[in-house]
Amino acid sequence: MSALLEVNQLVKHFPIAGSRQVVQAVNGISFEIKAGETLGLVGESGSGKTTVGRSILGLNDITEGSIRLEGRHLTDPAERRRSLGQIQIVFQESAEALDPRMKIGASIEEPLTALGVAVAERRDRVREVLDRVGLSERVLGQLPSELSGGQLQRIGIARAIVTRPKLLVLDEPTSALDPTARAEIIELLMRLQEELQTACLFISHDLSTVRHVSHRVAVMYLGMIVEQGKASEVFARPRHPYSVGLLSSVLLPNPHIRRASSLSLAGEIPSPINLPKGCFLASRCPFVEEACRHGIPEGQSLGDGHVVHCRRHEYVAETERISDAFDAFERESERILSVGMPEAA
Amino acid sequence: MHGIVPMSAATVTSPAEKTPTLSVRGLRVEFPAFAGPPLAAIPDLDLDIAPGEIVGLAGEAGAGKTVLARSLFRLVPEPGRIAGGAIRFDGEDLIGFDERSLQKLRGRSMTLIAANPRGELNPLRTVGDQISTMARVHLGVDRRVARQMTLDMLRAVQIPDPERRYDAYPHELSGGMAQRIVIAVALICSPRFVVADDATSGLDVTVQAQVLDLLRKLTLERGSSLLFITRDVGIAAHFCDRVAVMYRGEIMEVAPRETFFFQPRHPYTVMLLAAFSHNQRLRAGWSRPSKAAAEAVPGVGCSYASRCPKAAARCLVERPAATNLGGGQVIRCHYPVER
Repeated sequence: MSALLEVNQLVKHFPIAGSRQVVQAVNGISFEIKAGETLGLVGESGSGKTTVGRSILGLNDITEGSIRLEGRHLTDPAERRRSLGQIQIVFQESAEALDPRMKIGASIEEPLTALGVAVAERRDRVREVLDRVGLSERVLGQLPSELSGGQLQRIGIARAIVTRPKLLVLDEPTSALDPTARAEIIELLMRLQEELQTACLFISHDLSTVRHVSHRVAVMYLGMIVEQGKASEVFARPRHPYSVGLLSSVLLPNPHIRRASSLSLAGEIPSPINLPKGCFLASRCPFVEEACRHGIPEGQSLGDGHVVHCRRHEYVAETERISDAFDAFERESERILSVGMPEAA
Repeated sequence: MHGIVPMSAATVTSPAEKTPTLSVRGLRVEFPAFAGPPLAAIPDLDLDIAPGEIVGLAGEAGAGKTVLARSLFRLVPEPGRIAGGAIRFDGEDLIGFDERSLQKLRGRSMTLIAANPRGELNPLRTVGDQISTMARVHLGVDRRVARQMTLDMLRAVQIPDPERRYDAYPHELSGGMAQRIVIAVALICSPRFVVADDATSGLDVTVQAQVLDLLRKLTLERGSSLLFITRDVGIAAHFCDRVAVMYRGEIMEVAPRETFFFQPRHPYTVMLLAAFSHNQRLRAGWSRPSKAAAEAVPGVGCSYASRCPKAAARCLVERPAATNLGGGQVIRCHYPVER
């Protein structure tokens, strides 16, 4: 099966006003998303995740590289127009993404108006997606200020799927929500994915959620994808020191479960304005050797689509004890929390 | 262990024998309502924090965590007011203090680390100036000593090249660095009590781990007590000695860390923990309100009754009292989860 979305050597630099320097937000990344697949894109703030999402949507132009949807080059304005409505985005803060003075019904309908869908069909589709996201028709006449954060995020999702997109970009869709609302939205997204078979790019810094929803995962650091592969593989056996550091920083709500790792990343992310010449992690990496400081490491394939950009990945694999903390956490949660659970009436 | 023991004041919270640094009893915080009686953001709250102890306070948005944090400093946001109770700090009730005495305490003996470091720092003054002012005002040291103390503090919070950073302005620093400066401001006078209100939520995970380690080390070294307010129960599991969970202004359950996570007894605690697992069966089971819950009237009975899977007739009419289950575990629930 060929890929739905192909991103090849994508580069995006932002100019700095009054300076010849640029912010190197994205520095040559390549990845694919197959139809119906969810790719998790993880990394810390400033790693360029959002810029990748926005570039795919066409919300900013790109400096170099190509983005293709079903083989069509989205950098070409005519092709981009032809793919309108096929890629949709859900933002982090739906409260801010929605027009505060527009009724919910009109907000959900708006993308269809832009696509020139007939009035009668617009109404039907709005009702259909509302049902899919589990809201009653009562909300159609309400304003965003009358709804809760979880409800607004459902509206954001409804508004995105109303055009029946092939690809959904989810940019931190759960970060602003309370734990209970977050769990509900994740369940909803997974159900929709199964029902509609929409491919998703799930952008998040919440690794536990990404592991749960993604088939494959790509780890970003300073505008580069340092490691990508099947989610189960990358989370259980990370090979890049940055992936290891990121995973061992995750604090799961169980005092006994923490990813066993001798690795800790010192210091902070270097500035994306003056990027180092060699591997971007060299200044923070405990496994660094001289060669790392001189050139950006090539991607090395470990089979089954697992690619890592690190000269010392074999050493990392040997040093880092394998333990999937997330699996252990789920098992323990089941044991602890099923005690005394009330039966369904 | 599993029987319900009536609570006595001496066993309310801290298992430690030491006199608590901070002891809150019957705290009530009210906000006026447009029509009708004032709303109690915090109806009646008890909490003890022992010297050198880190207490985690978890809860969803709107639970009253920040109102509580500010109330402890007698800084309730207007037009709210403290309508009752006692806040004893080192044995003295802050409710009776005048503004002058409070100002001597704030920043010196008790400090607040807020979530948004850039909002806390003055953009027009260098960070060194802002930290050393604290030492000069509260400890009465001269400029030279204050500068030295500040440089030591900058080193303690692991700011690289402190001599140069002393003269930096807040906008020149990254988020992680600015958060360390706010911690330095809060800790320079070696306060006895520190409240961190969502202090690491804006940080990236790898930086967050560093800041938490630092905060733990510095509070322990100085024998300070820390109230660590967070939305992320995961942090509480690895960082705090005791954990409390708040819902609508009430502490629903408080227990030593291991008890809290391995033997939670309040249905709300269990529901919250289930939300962090990706187990749909557990989450559905604990967030499905019981039949009786549908009859719940806001403001009457247990505040969690309308969402509770175990809610029964009694929960709708009678507000549960704080009950000590032994081992430092105190909950407000008529029908605790049987374990």
